Amino acid sequence: MRVVTTMVATIHAQFLGVKKDFDMWRDAGVTLILSLIFADVLESARFSPPGKPKLTGCRSPEKETFTCWWEPGPDGGLPTSYSLYYRKDNSDTVYECPDYHTAGKNSCFFNKYETSIWVNYNITVMATNALGSSVSDPVDVDVVYIVQPHTPENVTAVVYTDDDDDPFLLARWEPPRKVDTHSGWITLVYELRVKLEKGDTWEEHFAGQQKQFNIFSPRSGEVYMVQVRCKPDHGFWSEWSPISYVKVPDYIHRERSMWILIAVISAFVFLIFTWTVKHNSVKRFLLPPVPRPKIRGFDTQLLKSGKSEEVLGGLVIQGFPPTSDYDDLLVECLEVYDEEQELVVDGKDLQEGCLKSKSRSDSDSGRGSCDSHTLLMEKCGGAKEGPPTVLNGKQGQAGRGPLEKSNSHGHRLDAAESPDETNGSLSTVFSSQQQSHKPSSHSIPEIPRQCRVPGNHCPSTHQHDYKESLADAACLGKPLAGYRCMQAYSDHNIHKIGHKREATFQTSKSTGYVEVQKVEQENMLIVNPIAKEVRDLYHPEPTGQDYSKVNDVVNDNVLLLQREIAAKNQVAGNPTENCPHQQAGKPAIHTAVPLHYEVCLASNGYVTQPQK
Amino acid sequence: MVKVKVLHRSVVGLLLYSVLVTWGHPPDCRDNRDGIMRCVSISQEKLLDRVIQHAELIYRISEESCTIFEEMFIPLETRSQRTNMCVTQTFSIPSSKSEIQQISDKWLLHSVLMLVQSWIEPLIYLQTTLGRYDDIPNTLLNKTKWVSDKLLSLEQGVVVLIRKMLEEGMLVSSGSEQGLVSYHIPLELVESVLRDYALLTCFKKAAHKMETFLKLLKCRQTNKFSCFLF
Repeated sequence: MRVVTTMVATIHAQFLGVKKDFDMWRDAGVTLILSLIFADVLESARFSPPGKPKLTGCRSPEKETFTCWWEPGPDGGLPTSYSLYYRKDNSDTVYECPDYHTAGKNSCFFNKYETSIWVNYNITVMATNALGSSVSDPVDVDVVYIVQPHTPENVTAVVYTDDDDDPFLLARWEPPRKVDTHSGWITLVYELRVKLEKGDTWEEHFAGQQKQFNIFSPRSGEVYMVQVRCKPDHGFWSEWSPISYVKVPDYIHRERSMWILIAVISAFVFLIFTWTVKHNSVKRFLLPPVPRPKIRGFDTQLLKSGKSEEVLGGLVIQGFPPTSDYDDLLVECLEVYDEEQELVVDGKDLQEGCLKSKSRSDSDSGRGSCDSHTLLMEKCGGAKEGPPTVLNGKQGQAGRGPLEKSNSHGHRLDAAESPDETNGSLSTVFSSQQQSHKPSSHSIPEIPRQCRVPGNHCPSTHQHDYKESLADAACLGKPLAGYRCMQAYSDHNIHKIGHKREATFQTSKSTGYVEVQKVEQENMLIVNPIAKEVRDLYHPEPTGQDYSKVNDVVNDNVLLLQREIAAKNQVAGNPTENCPHQQAGKPAIHTAVPLHYEVCLASNGYVTQPQK
Repeated sequence: MVKVKVLHRSVVGLLLYSVLVTWGHPPDCRDNRDGIMRCVSISQEKLLDRVIQHAELIYRISEESCTIFEEMFIPLETRSQRTNMCVTQTFSIPSSKSEIQQISDKWLLHSVLMLVQSWIEPLIYLQTTLGRYDDIPNTLLNKTKWVSDKLLSLEQGVVVLIRKMLEEGMLVSSGSEQGLVSYHIPLELVESVLRDYALLTCFKKAAHKMETFLKLLKCRQTNKFSCFLF
């Protein structure tokens, strides 16, 4: 600019030298004005005072020194110089930056003698050029909060192998050189990141204050990249360290080798199985065939072939159902009532009376003692008129329906029927009375007429097997007043009873049915033993129906009872301690049964005697 | 028989009592110099560790409180510009590492104690004034309350440390040497906000000082030589 002006001026002066002085001065002024205008125009187009610089930040790598950087603004075309000024805390003293060069261009470095921590620095930068200067916005800095260390150093990663274990990566590093972690001036925490060389994403791990880290289960044969960075407990994270590479040697996971072993063994076992399938004998040994349901005599092949007659013929079993002599016989059922029920016979009054007395007297199942029976009998004298006396078995004191052994009772036996009646044939259906008093005296009134007692002519029952004993003829007792006798009910009676029975089935479990096989001599019944199942039907065992089989009658007043199998030890009531377990199939037992002593009820409800 | 029982019980009672005495109340233990009194109490290193943990935690929570307050109440322009308003201490605290390394253990501890004691009351005041803001978040209130409680226990810890390390008895004085009169003058909202912000930031700085001093002290306790080599 000035050059131009001077040139113009000199040229003009030379040119004007010729002219007179007056003209020279006038022309010089004009030139000067022109040049000034010219310069002004030029200046506004290109040169200006510097624009505002901007402080980009300050950092301290170890909390002892720090550096600040700035960004220059537009410099206006002229060379600009920058200077940094700061004030400490609240003081007004302004200091200038001590070192502009150590940290590079556009920076200011504060060494450790000039750095105070916990002190607030107010920093500004001024840009100056020929035309002017401008000042940046001030920035407040406290060194403590601007700590950003350098990267950790000596980052190493190796594969570490114990003897038998799988190998793992061990990464180690050191804190950056200048940071003083020994004296506790700075506490550093570290972070590590790992990546497969072929992989995409980094896996980051926080390592705390420790200077090593383990990475387990690396992939065999791969190359890993490891980087570490650090940060003071309140400050900024450093940059990531340069990458360290580590190669993992080939190895087999112990876990994987275990799986391989398992796979081999199972393949082996599988092979053995398939081999045995081909060899049937071995197969049958290892995998026995599952039994299929088979009907004997049923030939599936025949069925398939379509010959139904032969098939069905095969199904027929010879000899079934078992036929017996008594095919012609009308099978009837004897209904055996409890005492009370029988006594009820004649009408409800009697029944009630009997029942009442009975109940009063007894504390067990309702079966009175022998005495009570007599009592009853006496009270129920009306019964003499021919009340239907159903044989009733209960006597005795066993808790359940004790079977009454009528033979033990003198009275009863005298009634004569009892022993005879209760002769084994009577079978075992003595209903226990425990529960309710039977309301039904259904057809009892009709009975008496039929009740006859043959007296002593009853053939004694011969000993039979257990099951057959009941087939003996049942002797009917003499029709003494108030005595019980075994009544044979005609069909219709039975039916009636049956019906009524059903009605009262639930409550009155004490009645039992005996199947009558034959009737002899008008007054003898040959009774079938009640099948156990049937019996069970009517008298579910747990209810305590107790039956005892009478084996024989002796002397007209002694009942030989048959000890029964005690399948379940279900005896309730007092006198059970002495009850023996009896084995099946032992028929013998016969002891006179004076009803006075206690009797045991076997589980099936049979009266047994306690062993002496 | 009865006598034996009574005796037995009294012995048991005495044992229990002695156990309680030793464990329930830390007695004034002396070192094994005279060898007369031996007691079970916390060791010096552990105590120092605990004190340092306290200080670290206090610093972290105060930093969080400051951030919350800043974000809520202080516009961007005025942030970090008023931090030079911190209350100056009656004594000067060294402000560079070289200076700090020159001061003695005793002075370090005393500085910490003075710092702690000088901030107890302002923090209590801060709680009340913070409660006056309308939309102040509960976390901030909780944090400041927590800090002010912890500061008290830090003070106790430092007192015990002084007693142990320097072996001097110390009266715990919580007198405020600051000119805190201005705290009780009700101010306009803006000024109140600014003042509270200044309090929080200054406390944050003070907490950092405490933490640093204590960590330096710890290094000196464990290995005196390497601490000064840097």
